[in-house]
Amino acid sequence: MKVAMYKAIMAAQMSRRNMLKGAASVGALAALGGANSLTSAKPAQAAAHSDLRAQLLKIPGVGMGSPTDADWQRVGELCLGPTRERVAEGEFEGVELTFLGLNNQNLHNFLFRGFLKPWEAYTGAKINWIDLAQADYNPRLQQAIATGTVDFDIIEMGAPFEGDTAGKGLLDEMPDWVKDQIEADDLVGYLQPPVGTWDGKTYRITIDGDCHTFCYRKDYFGDGAIGGAEVPRTWQEVNQVTKDLVGKTDPLTGLPAHGYLDPLKGWGGFGFYFIANRAAAYAKHPNDPAWLFDPDTMAPRVNNPAWVQAIQDVMDLIETPGAYPADQINADPGTTGFQQFLAGTGSMLMWWGDIGSSARTSDTSVVGDVVGFGINPGSDRVYNSQTGAWENTYNEAPAMAYLGWGIYVTKNVQGDDLKRKAAWSAAAHLGGKDISLWMSAYPSGFQPYRNSHFQYDEWEAAGYDRDYIEDYLGSNADSYNHPNAAIEPRIPGIFQYYSVAEDELAKGFAGQYGSAQETADAIAAAWEGITDQIGRDTQISLYRASLGL
Amino acid sequence: MEDGDRLHVVTADHISDQRRRLGKTLVWGSAALMALIMALQTLDGIGTLSIGFENWRPSLYAYLFWSTCLCVSQVLIRGEHGKRTLFVLPAALFVISMVVFPLLFGLVIAFSDWNLSSPDGRQFNGIDNLRQMAGDPFYWNAMRNMVWYTVAIVVEYAIAFGLALLLNGQIRARKFFRVAFLLPLMLSPVAVSWMIGKSMLEIRFGPISRFMRYIASEPSPDLAAPLFWIGSYISDFGQWLGWASPSFFGSAGVARAMIMMMDAWTFIPFMMIMILAGLQAIPRELFEAAEVDGASKWRQFWEVTFPLMLPVSITAILIRIIFKLKLADIIINITSGGPGGATDSVTSFIFREYRDRSNVGYGTLLAIVYLVVIVIAMTILMKLADRWMKPRY
Repeated sequence: MKVAMYKAIMAAQMSRRNMLKGAASVGALAALGGANSLTSAKPAQAAAHSDLRAQLLKIPGVGMGSPTDADWQRVGELCLGPTRERVAEGEFEGVELTFLGLNNQNLHNFLFRGFLKPWEAYTGAKINWIDLAQADYNPRLQQAIATGTVDFDIIEMGAPFEGDTAGKGLLDEMPDWVKDQIEADDLVGYLQPPVGTWDGKTYRITIDGDCHTFCYRKDYFGDGAIGGAEVPRTWQEVNQVTKDLVGKTDPLTGLPAHGYLDPLKGWGGFGFYFIANRAAAYAKHPNDPAWLFDPDTMAPRVNNPAWVQAIQDVMDLIETPGAYPADQINADPGTTGFQQFLAGTGSMLMWWGDIGSSARTSDTSVVGDVVGFGINPGSDRVYNSQTGAWENTYNEAPAMAYLGWGIYVTKNVQGDDLKRKAAWSAAAHLGGKDISLWMSAYPSGFQPYRNSHFQYDEWEAAGYDRDYIEDYLGSNADSYNHPNAAIEPRIPGIFQYYSVAEDELAKGFAGQYGSAQETADAIAAAWEGITDQIGRDTQISLYRASLGL
Repeated sequence: MEDGDRLHVVTADHISDQRRRLGKTLVWGSAALMALIMALQTLDGIGTLSIGFENWRPSLYAYLFWSTCLCVSQVLIRGEHGKRTLFVLPAALFVISMVVFPLLFGLVIAFSDWNLSSPDGRQFNGIDNLRQMAGDPFYWNAMRNMVWYTVAIVVEYAIAFGLALLLNGQIRARKFFRVAFLLPLMLSPVAVSWMIGKSMLEIRFGPISRFMRYIASEPSPDLAAPLFWIGSYISDFGQWLGWASPSFFGSAGVARAMIMMMDAWTFIPFMMIMILAGLQAIPRELFEAAEVDGASKWRQFWEVTFPLMLPVSITAILIRIIFKLKLADIIINITSGGPGGATDSVTSFIFREYRDRSNVGYGTLLAIVYLVVIVIAMTILMKLADRWMKPRY
C-alpha cells in the first residue's frame, strides 16, 4: 500500500471518527436535557463565540502598536475552529499549494502567511507564495491568462477581474461546504450575488468590501464655521462651498482653507473612481443598473450629459483660482488622501475606508478629532439615459469602487480532490467570519464587509471610541446597503477603460480640450476602441451578466 | 595543407568523400527537419492545420538539434578548420537565438491586434497598428517631448564640461569633490524621483517650497528698519517670482523643466567623468607650447582643449542621448506624464499602453518603431559627428 493512500485512509477514518464523536456528544446532550438542553446549549455556544471575538479584538489591543507576525499567527490559531470541524489533522499531508497575492504596505500576503501558518501546521499542507506589488498585479495576472501559464492554485483577486478569470473558465466553483464554513449569508447586501458569481456559479470568498465614503472636516461646518452651517449634501453644494472657501483660513492649520479635493492626476486607472463618485450622483438612475455603458450596445455613457456635468464641475473648480491647493493638477488620490486631507489641507474628500482607519491611528494625521463621515453626496437632479432627459429629483448613488478583494481557487486544482479540498479549506480559513472581524479592526488593507462587522458594541468593548466608530463604520454600512449603489461592472479589461480615461481627463484638466464635452467624447471614442478590440459581443454579454440582467 | 594556414593548422587532415557526405547529410537533414517542424508549427499556429502543438518547444528542440548537427558537421567536413570554427560558432548561434528570434517574435506581435483581455487572443492585423500610431496624439506628443528632452543635453554638456574643467584644475580636496560629484549617478532614478520630486519639491512640506514661501513672505515688523526694508525688498522679489505659492509640476513648461533638471542632476556626473578622463589625457606640453606662444587661457581652451576633447565629447553626448531616449522612471513616478501629457516620454507612454492597458500588440509596435527611429537617428548623428571631426585631423 502506498504511503499516501494509507495516510488518506487514516485521515478519512479520523475525520469520520471525529464527526461521529461530535454527533454522539450532541446526541448525548439532547438525550440528557431533551429540548431544553438544546436551547441552553445555544447560549453557551454563543457566549463562547462571543468570548472568542472579544479575545480576537484584543490582539494586540487598541493603542498597542501595529500587529506583528506573532499576532497574525495567534489570530489564525484562534480561528481554526471551522477548519477543525471539516478537516482531520494531517489530512492534507503532502499537498502543496501556490498562493498569488499582494504585498501592499507589507499587508495582504504577509497577513495571510501568519493566518495560514497554524492551518498548515494542522492540515499538513504546504503553501508557496507569490507576492506582487499592486502595480504589478494586473500585468502578471493578464500575462498568466494570455499565455496559458496560470501557475497558482489560490489567488487574492478583486471582483473587477472576475470577467478576466471566471469569464474565461479559469476558476473552480466553490463547493457548498465552503459557503457554510464562511457563513456567506453574513455578507453585506451588495456583495451578495451576482458579485462573486459568474453564470450562476459562485467562485469568490469575499475578504474585503470596497466603497468610497465622504470624509469631511467637522470644524469647517456648523454655526459660524467657515464652510457654512450644514455639511454639503449634494455635489452642487460641494462645489459651491469649495468656491466660497477661497480666501478663507483653515481653522486647524492657519493655512489657506480649501474645499473638496479632486485628484487631477491619474493613478494607474484607480484615479477614475474619483470622477466616477461625482458622476454617479448624476448618472446612476435608480431605475437603471447601468451607468457606464449602454447594456445593449456597450456604447459608452461617459459622454452623456451626466458625466459631462461631473467633468465640468471639476473644470469649474480648476478655473476658480485658489479653489484647489497649488499644484493640484499633479495630485493623485494618494496625495489627496494622505498628503492633503489627513495632513490638514482641504475639508472634503471621497476615499476608501483607509482614511477612516488612519485618521486616528496614523502619525501623520492631524485631523483625527475633527473628521466626520458620510455617504457619497447626491445631486439635485439625475440624468435618465432611457429618456435622454434630466429629472429634477434628488438622487444619491454611493460608488462601490473596486468591490473589494476576494480569495478564489483556480481550476488547476481540478482532478485532484485532496488538493481541491485543501485549496478551498485554506481560502475558507481566510474568509471566515471571526478572522474577518480582526481584519476589519486592525491594519490589514481590508474594509468591513459583513453585517456582523457593524456590531458597534464589539468595537466599543475592544476600546474604540463609540461615536467615531459609529460615524466611520456607519458611512460604510449606509453605502453598502444603499438601494441605488453604483456597482462596478465586472468585465474584462475594465482597468484599460479607466486607464485611458485618466489620460484623456488629464488632457482635459490641463486645458487641452475645448470643453468638458470634448474631453468626454475623447474618452468615449477611446472606450469604443477598447470594446472593439476586446470583442463587443462578449463584452455586452459579460456586462449584462455582471449587472444581473 | 592549404596555403596561408601553415602557421595555424598543425594536423594534416585527410577527409574522405564519405565523411564529407556524412557531414553534409547531417547538416542538411537536420535543417530540413527543423524547417519541417517550424512549418508545421506555423501552419498549426495560424489554424491551417490542427496538429495540436501545445507550445513552441518542438521548434526550439529542432533548432538546438540543427545547431548541434551544424557544429558536428563542421568538424566532419572541414577537419581542423572546422574545430577552429567551433570556438565561435556556438556563441554565434546563441546570439542568433537570443537576438534574432525574439526580434522576429517581436515583429510578429507588433503587427498583431493583441489585447490580453480579449478572448480571441492574438490576431494578425497587418499595418493597422501603424495606422493607429500615425493618428495617435499621445504618441506624437511624447515624441515631441523627447525632442525637448534631447535638446536639453546641450545644456547638460556645457555644465558637465565646466565641472570637469574645475575638477581637472588644481583645487583643494579634488578627490573628495570627484567622488561627491559622482554620487548622483549612483542613485537610482526611482530614488531621485521620490527623494526630490516627491519629497523635497512637495509643495506643502518640501523644504524647497517652504524656503521659497519663506523668502516670499512679509518680514516681521519687529525687525530693525534697515533689515525690514531689505526683507521687504526680498519678499517683493520672491512674490514677483511667484514663490508665495510655489508649483513645480502645475504648468507644462515648468513641469518639463523640472523633469529635465532631475534627470540632468542624475546624469551630468556621467558626462563629467567621461570628459574629465579626456581632459587628463591631453598632454601637458600642448598647453605649455600654447602658453609660450602667448595664448590666453580662453584661447587655450578654444584652440587646444575643446578641439582635442571633441571625440570624447561626441561619444559622451551620443551615449547620453541613448540614456535620455530611455527616460521613463522619473516621469512615471512623479507626473505620470502630466500635466496633460507635457512631461510624457515615449517610454512612459508605452509603459502605460502596454502595462496599464494590456495592449501588447500596439505597445510592441510603438517600441519597435521607436527603436528604428533611434537606430536611424544615431546612425545619422554618428556620420555627422565623423564629418565634423575630420577636417580638424
